[in-house]
Amino acid sequence: MLCSITSACLKGIEGYIVNVEVDIAAGMPSLTLVGLPDQEVKEAKDRVLAAIRNSGFDSPIKKITINLVPAEIKKSGTHFDLPIALGILGASGQLSDTAIANLKKYIFIGSLGLTGKVHGCAGVLPMLIALKRKGKEKAIISQDNLEEAKYAAMAYFSAQNLKQVVDLLEEKIPFEQELKDNSENLSIQEVYTEDFSEVKGQTLAKRALEIAAAGGHNVLMMGPPGTGKSMLAKRFATILPPLEKEEMLEILQIYSVCGLLNKRKGNFQRPFRDPHHTISNIALIGGGQNPRPGEVSLAHNGVLFLDEFAEFSRTSLEVLREPLETFKVTIARAKETLTFPAKFTLIAAMNPCPCGYHGHNVKVCNCTPVQISRYKAKISGPLLDRIDLTVNLLPVNFSDWEKKAQGPTSKEIREKVIAARKIQKERFKNSTTTANAFMSVAQIKEFCALPKDGAQVLELAMKKLGLSARSLDKILKTARTIADLEGSKDIKKEHLMEVFQYRPLDRKGVRDI
Amino acid sequence: MNFEEKLARIKVNSFSYLRSDWLLEMIKIFGSASEFLKQDAKTISKEGKISLESAQAFLKSCAMLDAQKEMEKTEKVGGKILFNGEEDFPTRLAEIKEAPLLIYARGDLGDTQRASVGMVGTRKISPYGRRAATQLAGDLAQSGIVLVSGLARGIDSVVHAQAVKNQSATWALIGTGIGRCYPAENRELARAILDTGGAIISELPFDAAPLAHHFPRRNRLIAGLSDLVVVVEGEVKSGALITAKMALDQGLDVMAVPGPIDSPTSGGPNKLIKEGAGMVLSASDIIDAIPSNKKFGLKVKKLYNESKAPSEPLTQQEQKIIDLIGEGSKNIDELSLESSFDIMQLSAILFSLEVAGVLICTDGKYSRSKFN
Repeated sequence: MLCSITSACLKGIEGYIVNVEVDIAAGMPSLTLVGLPDQEVKEAKDRVLAAIRNSGFDSPIKKITINLVPAEIKKSGTHFDLPIALGILGASGQLSDTAIANLKKYIFIGSLGLTGKVHGCAGVLPMLIALKRKGKEKAIISQDNLEEAKYAAMAYFSAQNLKQVVDLLEEKIPFEQELKDNSENLSIQEVYTEDFSEVKGQTLAKRALEIAAAGGHNVLMMGPPGTGKSMLAKRFATILPPLEKEEMLEILQIYSVCGLLNKRKGNFQRPFRDPHHTISNIALIGGGQNPRPGEVSLAHNGVLFLDEFAEFSRTSLEVLREPLETFKVTIARAKETLTFPAKFTLIAAMNPCPCGYHGHNVKVCNCTPVQISRYKAKISGPLLDRIDLTVNLLPVNFSDWEKKAQGPTSKEIREKVIAARKIQKERFKNSTTTANAFMSVAQIKEFCALPKDGAQVLELAMKKLGLSARSLDKILKTARTIADLEGSKDIKKEHLMEVFQYRPLDRKGVRDI
Repeated sequence: MNFEEKLARIKVNSFSYLRSDWLLEMIKIFGSASEFLKQDAKTISKEGKISLESAQAFLKSCAMLDAQKEMEKTEKVGGKILFNGEEDFPTRLAEIKEAPLLIYARGDLGDTQRASVGMVGTRKISPYGRRAATQLAGDLAQSGIVLVSGLARGIDSVVHAQAVKNQSATWALIGTGIGRCYPAENRELARAILDTGGAIISELPFDAAPLAHHFPRRNRLIAGLSDLVVVVEGEVKSGALITAKMALDQGLDVMAVPGPIDSPTSGGPNKLIKEGAGMVLSASDIIDAIPSNKKFGLKVKKLYNESKAPSEPLTQQEQKIIDLIGEGSKNIDELSLESSFDIMQLSAILFSLEVAGVLICTDGKYSRSKFN
């Protein structure tokens, strides 16, 4: 007898429907699983048969063939256990006609323990979202995946064990009891325990981060150890505009695929990822044998903080160029090409020299000029081209630390950021651009017109400060954001002059004259 | 001196670990450099009182160098090899205690007896040192004095750059062969020196690398080509002080620019002043110390009479920022704390001051670029 069950699988972070077909025929007792299952899926055989037995059913001693349709795509994950078990029960005639009919109504996603308990698995949310898009309405999942299923806008039943699922199919227990759609109540509660006002001094760096948050610019902070680089970066998410529902759903899907969702229960912040500088390229960018999102994707819609920027391996830094340019990561294989979203704000921090104390007020730096320039040269030009704002940080004097007010709170800065974003939303309403930092060349031309005295300022800066024409676009984009923060319709020369504060690395070639 | 002898001398000069006065002594003993080269290591070791190994290394180095090629390469870059003893060799260099056997010179040496001042200092330049060097070198260059320095980073670069800026000749005594530029970032400056009638000079073979022992030795040449040596900035143990010592050994005046007593880079000049070196408070102090027979033709008058170039008057805000910065350097955070301007206001003020050349910014810190 043949039984077909609907389930799903993941390709990257996109879900797609998989039909699990189970055929039981007379012959040598065996169980064959086809349809390009990988090791995780293959192991379902042993789990499923034990789970069936231990749930009080018979595991058929016949020739069992299981096919996963579409058969040409490689499948991974343990969530096929539940549909396979139900398929075997159905095909071996252990379910009533009612139950068989009910099988068609649901989709099943869940892994099984030997006792028959339904366990959770990774990637449930994107699978449910994909199924919903295909018109599927009701899902049966594990209790472990309860949290994430709430966001799929889909009716679901969270099952404890196989027996319970069969009872549901046999209509012994009502499924209405738990079938609910929670997505509309999905409230975004961002709880941040840190605040910008906790960082003393560093006015310029704070302002740079404010501009970065308002315009989506990337930032490089350079300074000796202990100047508050990490502290500032950790608080950057607190001044970003609040998450929108769409954005959050994207984040949740990525975290679901990585199996990290349940750890984030109830606290929905913008992600802050700070991988260590020894990270491998694959872990940073994503990929691997079964391609998984990397840190850049986990930082999607949030912050990627790379401390000790110059200590990252050269290749790790170079792979960052793609997501910084296209806001996604493409993993190309001979058989398939996967895309992971990776739209993040890069906050990089580095020491000014190998020993770290170049430019320090008190401590002495013993690095030679060659060492220092070599250290800085570790960050390649193309990468620097994607960083609009650079600030030098110096240690804060204790007296300043004592006497001066802490500066604006996260809430105050955030209000300015939100206002600036609103202006940008209006500006880009007819395009896919979301913030000033992502403007195309044509858009820069359209929106970053300079006043007369502004053009003079630019010319002076190039002549006297050695600013290169190469950074012109970045200067204009940043100036646009500063103007937005000030609520100014046009870019004024003051805005431009401020931008030069954030381009210290451009001031090369200024002779000692 | 015939051509053969010249080639032999180029070869003999290739081994930079032995002093040039020793080489001259040996040439005297054997009659000529060609004859000297024909000796075996044992004889050289015995006559020259050096170890056998050194003599062998010396002969090996001589054999390896293609003297003909050295001449060709030098001519190709528009340079010349000048031999001690020939007429075109700078007299003042021939007179020093450890006179070089020969020099490679690129560019125009002109009259090497002109009034010249050696200005040396640290590579790790402080804002104060930069201001002082800029001001002094600028004034000296304007009065037509040849500035002599070492084309290193820091003070040396400032000195050469001031000469170039004022279209005045300057001599750079470098610690590599003239076929190289070290540090590489000074390539542009080196070209500018040649373009403005200056010269780049070295006693080392054309392609010699920047080895540590080359630099103290070239310092004696800086002193040798100068009428007096001014130390602008330098730590107590530094190349600048070596140059000062060489100058004293050669009987030249040494002058020093005083600096803050707690600044490590002013430790050298302050110590020199304490020991009796002339104190430099302005360029005229230096010009006064130049031997009187060389003061002919200097445009000193212009210097003394010169009124300050009319610069745009500073606004009240700009003056406030300059006062806050004072003699040291401050970053924008400190300025905003002390001045109550916000970042945008400060940026505008700093920008106009920087563009006007009143302030310079290094690694985010602003300091004054010249004296008031």
